[in-house]
Amino acid sequence: MGLDAFGHDPFWLVIIKILAVFVFLIVSTILMIWFERRVVGRMQHRPGPNRYGPFGLLQSVADALKLALKEDIMPTLADKAVYFIAPIISIMCAFTAWAVIPFGPEVSIFGVRSPLQITDVPVAVLVVLACSGLGVYGIVLGGWASGSTYPLLGALRSAAQVISYEVALGLSIVAVFMLSGSMSTSEIVMSQGENPPIQLSLLGMELNFNVPGWYAILLLPSFIIFMISMVGETNRAPFDLPEAESELVGGFHTEYSSLKFAMFFLAEYINMFTVSAMCVTLFLGGWRAPWPISIWGEANTGWWPILWFLGKVWVFMFVFVWLRGTMPRLRYDQFMRLGWKVLIPLNLVWILVVAGVRVSTQQENGTTKTLVIGGVVLLAGAVILFYPRRKQYVEPATADLGLGGFPVPPLDLKVPPSPRTKKIEATREKASVGTDSKTDTTGEEG
Amino acid sequence: MSLLAQGALLAADNTVPTGEAVTFWILAPIALGGAIGMVLARNAVHSALLLVCTMLSLGVFYVLQAGPFIGMVQIIVYTGAIMMLFLFVIMLVGRHTRDSLIEVLRGQRLAAVILGVGFAMLLGTGLARGVGSVTAKGLDEANANGNVEGIAKLLFTKYIFAFEVTSALLITAAIGAMLLAHIEKKPGEKLDQKVLSRNRFTKGNYPGPKSGPGVFATSDSVATPAILPDGTFTERSVSKVVPARELTLTEARPKATNGNKQDGEIR
Amino acid sequence: MSLSQWVPLVVLFTLATLFALFSVTIAPYIGPRRYNKAKLEAYECGIEPTPTPPGGSRFPVKFYLTAMLFIIFDIEIVFLYPWAVAFDSLGMFGFVEMLLFIVTVFVAYTYVWRRGGLDWD
Repeated sequence: MGLDAFGHDPFWLVIIKILAVFVFLIVSTILMIWFERRVVGRMQHRPGPNRYGPFGLLQSVADALKLALKEDIMPTLADKAVYFIAPIISIMCAFTAWAVIPFGPEVSIFGVRSPLQITDVPVAVLVVLACSGLGVYGIVLGGWASGSTYPLLGALRSAAQVISYEVALGLSIVAVFMLSGSMSTSEIVMSQGENPPIQLSLLGMELNFNVPGWYAILLLPSFIIFMISMVGETNRAPFDLPEAESELVGGFHTEYSSLKFAMFFLAEYINMFTVSAMCVTLFLGGWRAPWPISIWGEANTGWWPILWFLGKVWVFMFVFVWLRGTMPRLRYDQFMRLGWKVLIPLNLVWILVVAGVRVSTQQENGTTKTLVIGGVVLLAGAVILFYPRRKQYVEPATADLGLGGFPVPPLDLKVPPSPRTKKIEATREKASVGTDSKTDTTGEEG
Repeated sequence: MSLLAQGALLAADNTVPTGEAVTFWILAPIALGGAIGMVLARNAVHSALLLVCTMLSLGVFYVLQAGPFIGMVQIIVYTGAIMMLFLFVIMLVGRHTRDSLIEVLRGQRLAAVILGVGFAMLLGTGLARGVGSVTAKGLDEANANGNVEGIAKLLFTKYIFAFEVTSALLITAAIGAMLLAHIEKKPGEKLDQKVLSRNRFTKGNYPGPKSGPGVFATSDSVATPAILPDGTFTERSVSKVVPARELTLTEARPKATNGNKQDGEIR
Repeated sequence: MSLSQWVPLVVLFTLATLFALFSVTIAPYIGPRRYNKAKLEAYECGIEPTPTPPGGSRFPVKFYLTAMLFIIFDIEIVFLYPWAVAFDSLGMFGFVEMLLFIVTVFVAYTYVWRRGGLDWD
């Protein structure tokens, strides 16, 4: 296909594609909100929204309509102009990134052969990065312009967080560029279609094998780092410190209401879809069918790939929800430590390892090859060796009794069973569940 | 679309393609207006935002002139990173801070004028040389293997020295930032969670939660200190920036709700 | 490289901007408008908002350091991208020169780490 396939669409087709993506994003967001509430509900043993429509599917539609009809508030202390444009910036950046996401291969739309992608440029991945970089402005300006303390704190945190994880995100893509030799999304998907043969001769041993095409397998560390940093980048749990409800009310959009708030909300969810789609495109073969399906010859042609693409994206969306249902929020210093002290050095070393292996496969000379590989292994080993370890926790020999100050319970305190528990147990009716009379109720209600 | 496609074909000779011209005439005023507005704006954040406008327009100009990589880098590095730093600094000094009219540096006006004229001359001569004496090879030759590859080839072979020196520049930047912004802490000075927890429970310290402002007080304002069980006020419950005081009658009056006409007419 | 590849991107950008502009502009008109003083004040969980201290609200200088470090790494990344794309044609020479570059930046990184610039407290 290549880059030459783009830029020839007639104007009506461009408009159709753009409108399709527009509708897709808005519908997906509405669906995602429902999906998130249902899945989190399931994880927390409650039904989640189940009143409007089948399985509560229309709940988000109702919420969206209600949100639009809410009162729009412009706080007295707000900086009017900036307060107004901040949600616009967020939406602009969120949507624009989707111009370069590949949905599928070339198909025929009303008689015109055209790829299922709005457009592609030689620097497509950078366009997405630029959009996410500019999207931070919406957050920072929104928080600042509100003229209120919580939003400002949330905005500042958010900005510091996003820029910290953008470094890790940006570095994790380098290895992908190295292997694909391109920054255009369609070409990266293309290059994941082939299984390149690799010949390694290490100390006389000859190793010949075919490498799988997907970069998630080939560049596993990059993939993992990308996954971690994409959660940080989108301010989602467990990295949702900018919106920490228990500390900052709502973060940067505390003062926003009505459609202005809806814009921020929409942008946030679209960004989740964007990073998921990027992850799929860069590491999971984009629209290419996953293994068992790919045996079927026509899996990667026609309109089918959209299905594979959306399936993979929704797997990531599920992971987002899963993380939210499972992980507690990180402390800010721990979060920053993970970004700056773990992900970045790991990334740089990994890039050098990939570069070393790749350059060594190019070499004709056997000694140079061994030398490069040896050097890279040495470097990686040195970093692992010198990487600072955290101090081991030593269990105190004696229980800490509070240094004679405020009385605290000893560490080895045995809590006697409460007399109330026994009383409740005695008075409670036996549950008649099943035939076996095994009822385990100790301590539940105490 | 078709206009631009034609434009690309026309680019071979010296005429400017229509699409490019249209984009230029839309963005050039924005870029210039942003730059002028940045100088004139009273509010520091507005200034920074107008500068962002200018930077973005420049990024699009680069893309327009067949340099998509440098255009995106302009947007990512300048607008994404450097302007973000500017915003941080502006927020750092507070949003209500106005320009200080006292000149601390002696002779800075003279220096500014001299440097400005010097810079203008430098720019002028560079432009004159670029337009006049340098024979352009053309974009097609420069971008023969793709824009990014072209840049990589030049940057990592011909301009390798400049590239390696950049890393030294980055070290300087890191050290500068540390010197300016880092608050050095002695090894024992930073208390970990355990020590903090111990200190909290030592004698003479009250480990329970501190009462919030307005608790048991005459009103729920932040400015009213809480009353302790023994009937005394506790200054600790009031923020340091708020002077503790009793509220006036108007301040203490319950706020209006929707039905109240008086306050409903604020806007 | 043709500019026509960028046109759909510009169209999408324009459309998104119009959509956002439209939504944000009509918001005050379709909702109820019953304002009062309490609604327009900054939200601080129901208590009166804390007045800003004299000189405006200030922020930890720590954020400045983070932004500066971000710029340093962003520039490094920007150099890494074309290098990675053209890696195969640059070969051994490119590898060694980027190794030097990364090691030099790593020195700066280690310095900042050792001085405690990466710690939050």
